[in-house]
Amino acid sequence: MVKQWFKSGSPWIWMTGGAVSISLISVLGILAMIAWKGLSFFWPSQVVQFELEGSIAKQTVIGEVYDRELVPKERLAATGVDVSAFDKEEFERLLIKTGNREYVALDFRWILETDIKAKSTPATLAVFERSKNGNFYGYVEGVFKDGKPVEGDKVEALYELVERAVDLNDEALDLQNGDIGHINYELERLRLKEKSYLLDNQLTDERVAELAKARAELRAEYGELEKELFALRKQAKRDHVTVKDMRGEIVTIPMYQVLDVWFPNDMGFFAKLGHYFGQLGKFVSDDPREANTEGGVFPAIFGTVFMVMLMAVIVTPFGVVAAIYLHEYAAKNAVTKMIRIAVINLAGVPSIVYGVFGLGFFVYMLGGSIDQLFYPESSPTPVFGTPGVMWSALTLAILTLPVVIVSTEEGLSRIPSTVRDGSLALGATKVETLWRIVIPMASPAIMTGLILAVARAAGEVAPLMLVGVVKMAPTLPLDGNFPYFHLDRKFMHLGFHIYDVGFQSPNVEAARPLVYATAFLLVSVIITLNITAIGIRNHLREKFRSLEH
Amino acid sequence: MITVAPKVNQANLGMKLDLDNLTDEQKALEIKDLDLYYGDKQALSKVNMNIPKGQVTAFIGPSGCGKSTLLRCINRMNDLVDICRIEGEILLHGQNIYDKNVDVAALRRNVGMVFQRPNPFPKSIYENVVYGLRLQGIKEKRKLDEVVEQSLRGAALWDEVKDRLHDSAFGLSGGQQQRLVIARSIAIEPEVLLLDEPTSALDPISTLVIEELINDLKNKFTVVIVTHNMQQAARVSDQTAFMYMGELIEYSDTNTLFTTPTKKKTEDYITGRYG
Repeated sequence: MVKQWFKSGSPWIWMTGGAVSISLISVLGILAMIAWKGLSFFWPSQVVQFELEGSIAKQTVIGEVYDRELVPKERLAATGVDVSAFDKEEFERLLIKTGNREYVALDFRWILETDIKAKSTPATLAVFERSKNGNFYGYVEGVFKDGKPVEGDKVEALYELVERAVDLNDEALDLQNGDIGHINYELERLRLKEKSYLLDNQLTDERVAELAKARAELRAEYGELEKELFALRKQAKRDHVTVKDMRGEIVTIPMYQVLDVWFPNDMGFFAKLGHYFGQLGKFVSDDPREANTEGGVFPAIFGTVFMVMLMAVIVTPFGVVAAIYLHEYAAKNAVTKMIRIAVINLAGVPSIVYGVFGLGFFVYMLGGSIDQLFYPESSPTPVFGTPGVMWSALTLAILTLPVVIVSTEEGLSRIPSTVRDGSLALGATKVETLWRIVIPMASPAIMTGLILAVARAAGEVAPLMLVGVVKMAPTLPLDGNFPYFHLDRKFMHLGFHIYDVGFQSPNVEAARPLVYATAFLLVSVIITLNITAIGIRNHLREKFRSLEH
Repeated sequence: MITVAPKVNQANLGMKLDLDNLTDEQKALEIKDLDLYYGDKQALSKVNMNIPKGQVTAFIGPSGCGKSTLLRCINRMNDLVDICRIEGEILLHGQNIYDKNVDVAALRRNVGMVFQRPNPFPKSIYENVVYGLRLQGIKEKRKLDEVVEQSLRGAALWDEVKDRLHDSAFGLSGGQQQRLVIARSIAIEPEVLLLDEPTSALDPISTLVIEELINDLKNKFTVVIVTHNMQQAARVSDQTAFMYMGELIEYSDTNTLFTTPTKKKTEDYITGRYG
C-alpha cells in the first residue's frame, strides 16, 4: 500500500505543495504582523483612569494601556515589590502610556494589577496631540479664546480653536519654507555669485552695485514676509486651554502647540474610524517631529522613491548597453565568459562594500573634483564632495547593475533567431536590427531586471548610510527653487528611518509602533514600485508576445 | 514496385532553356565552384549552376543535403554563422557577391528571403510591410501607403487584411503571416526572392495559396525555392536542382528531371526510394 502510494507520486506532490505553503505562510505572516502592529497604532485606544494603591503610594494614573505582561513572583520580590500578601505565582503588569512628558519623569510606566483599586474610562478625558513633548492626557477645564474664557460649549469652542491654530501654523510653515526659504536660497546664490566673480577677478564696481541692489530688494521682501510671519505666530499664541492632569494640577497648554484633540472614550466606531484614517493620512504626509519619534514620514517616503527612481534611470541604460555588448558583439571566448562570471559575482558582494566604494570613489574623488572644477565659489563648503542623493543613486546603480545585465542578456538570448534573420534579410544592418527589433522585443526582460533592481535597491540601507542618507533632512531633493532637482542634497530613507527610530531613538517605547508602521510603509512602497513595473512589463510582454506558438 | 513520378506543371513545358549556356540576359545568378565548410565539415562541394531570370528554380534533396545552405549563400545569410567558411563565387550582374567591397545590406535588399517559419516582427501589419522602406529612410506617408497596398496585393493578402492594417501581425494565421512576410520582402522590390521551405510550417490550404502566389511572383522576380516536397517542386518550378550530400547531382528543367532523370540517384529519390 505504502509502496504504491510512493509510486503514485502523491508524496512528491505533497512535499512540493508543502514547501510552497510554508513559504507563502511565512511571507503572509510577516506582512500581516507588520501591518497589524504598525497600523493598529493609529487606532484611538481608550484612555483609562487608574486609582492605584498598594505597593506604591495612593495616586491616580491616566493613560493608554500599551502592553501587558506576566511577571513571576520571584522577580517582583527581587525588585523590592512586596507581593507576599497574594497567593499567586504570576502577576500581570500593564505598561501605561501616560504622556505629559514635561511633568512626569517618564511618559511610560508599569503598574501592577494588584495595585489597581479602581479603573474608569470617563468620557470627558481628552487627548491632546502636541507639536512638542508628545501627547497630553487630562480633563479640559477652561478654553480661552484671545485670552478670554469661553462660555457655553467648551468642547465645540476647543475644536474650533484647534482648527484655527492648525490653520495658522500651516500658513506660517508655508511662509517659512516657501517664500522665506526661497529668499534665503536666492541670497545664498547671490553670495556665491559674488564669490565666483571675486575668484575670477571680475568683480567690478558695477557688479558690486548690481548685487547690492538685488540683495537689498530681497532683504526688503524678506522684512515684509518676516513681519507677516511674526503676525501669524502672534495670532497663534492668543488662544490657550487649561487642562487638569492626573496629578490633579491645572496645566496651561498654548493652542499653537496643539495639533489635534480628541475624546477617545466618547467616540463611536465611525468617529474612531474617521480619526484613524486622519492619523494615517498625517503619518504619510507630515514631516517627522521630536527626533523622529512623532509625526509623519513623508520626507522619508519621498526620498526613498526619488532615490530609487533616479537609480533606475541610471542603471537601465548602463545595464542594457553592457548586456548588448556582451551578448551581441563580444567574441564568444574565455575572456567574455570570465567577464560574465565576474558580473554575476558582483551581485554577491556585500552591499556595505559598495557603500565604502561609493564614499571613496564617488563622494570624495568624483564629487571632490566636481567641486574643484565647477563650484570653487562654495569652498570650503562642499557641494557634490559630500554624501548626497545622486551618489546614493549611483552607488545603488552599481549594486544592481549585475541584475539588469543578467536579465537583459537572458532576454536577448530568448529572441528567436528567425526574427533577427528576417530583419537582416530585408537589408537591415546589425545595429538597425538591434534598435528596431531586438531591444523592443527584449524590453520585458529588461523590465524584469529593473523590477529586481528596484526591489533590491529600495530595501538597501547599509551603503546609503555612507553615501547620502541622514536622520533628518531639512529640505527635499526636489523643490520650487531653480534648478528644482537638487541632486547634491542629502535625503531621508524609510529603511534608515526604521533603523534610526528603532535603535537611535531617545524614547524606545514611543518609537516601537512607528518602527512597524514605517516598515509596513517601506514594504508598501516597494510593492507599489514593483507592481507598477510588473504592469508595464506585462503590457510589453503582450505587445511583443514571443513567436513560439 | 509501383512508383509514380510527380505530375509536372503543364504550363511550364515548352520553354526549355539551355541551362549550361545562358545568355547574360537570361541569367539572374551564376554559382561557380562553390565550396562551403562548417568548421572542418564540408557542407557544399563544387556547386556550379546558373539560375535563370524571371523563373522559379527549385532545390530538392533529402534532409541535410545542403539545399538550404546553398540558398542562404545567395544572400550571404551564412555570414552570421561564425564557423562558416566559403570558397568560390556567386555572380550577380557579373559581380561576385563575396567580394570584399560588397555592401551586404544592399545585397540583401536586392536578394530577399522568406524563411521556413513565418517570422513577422512584433509590429502592426502595416509596419511589417514598410519595415524595409523605413530602413531606407522613406517617410512619405503616401508612398508608404501605396507600397503597402501593392505589396499586400502582390502577396494575395490585401483583401484579408485591408481593414486591420494597424493590428498586430501576430493576430494573423500562419499562412497569412507567411504571405505577410512575402509582402514584406517584395515591398523593397528585390530582383531575386529566396524561399526557404516557405510552406513546411503551414496547412494544406495555406500551402496551396502560397504556391499560387509563387506562380504570380515569377512575373516580377526571379524565385529560388527550397522544398522538401517533390510534388511542390513539380507544381511550382521551371527548373529543379537535385542535391545530395552537398553536391549538385542533377539540374535541368523540371519536366525533364522528373520524367527522365539522367542520374541514378535522382531517379531513386524522385521515385521515393529514399529521402
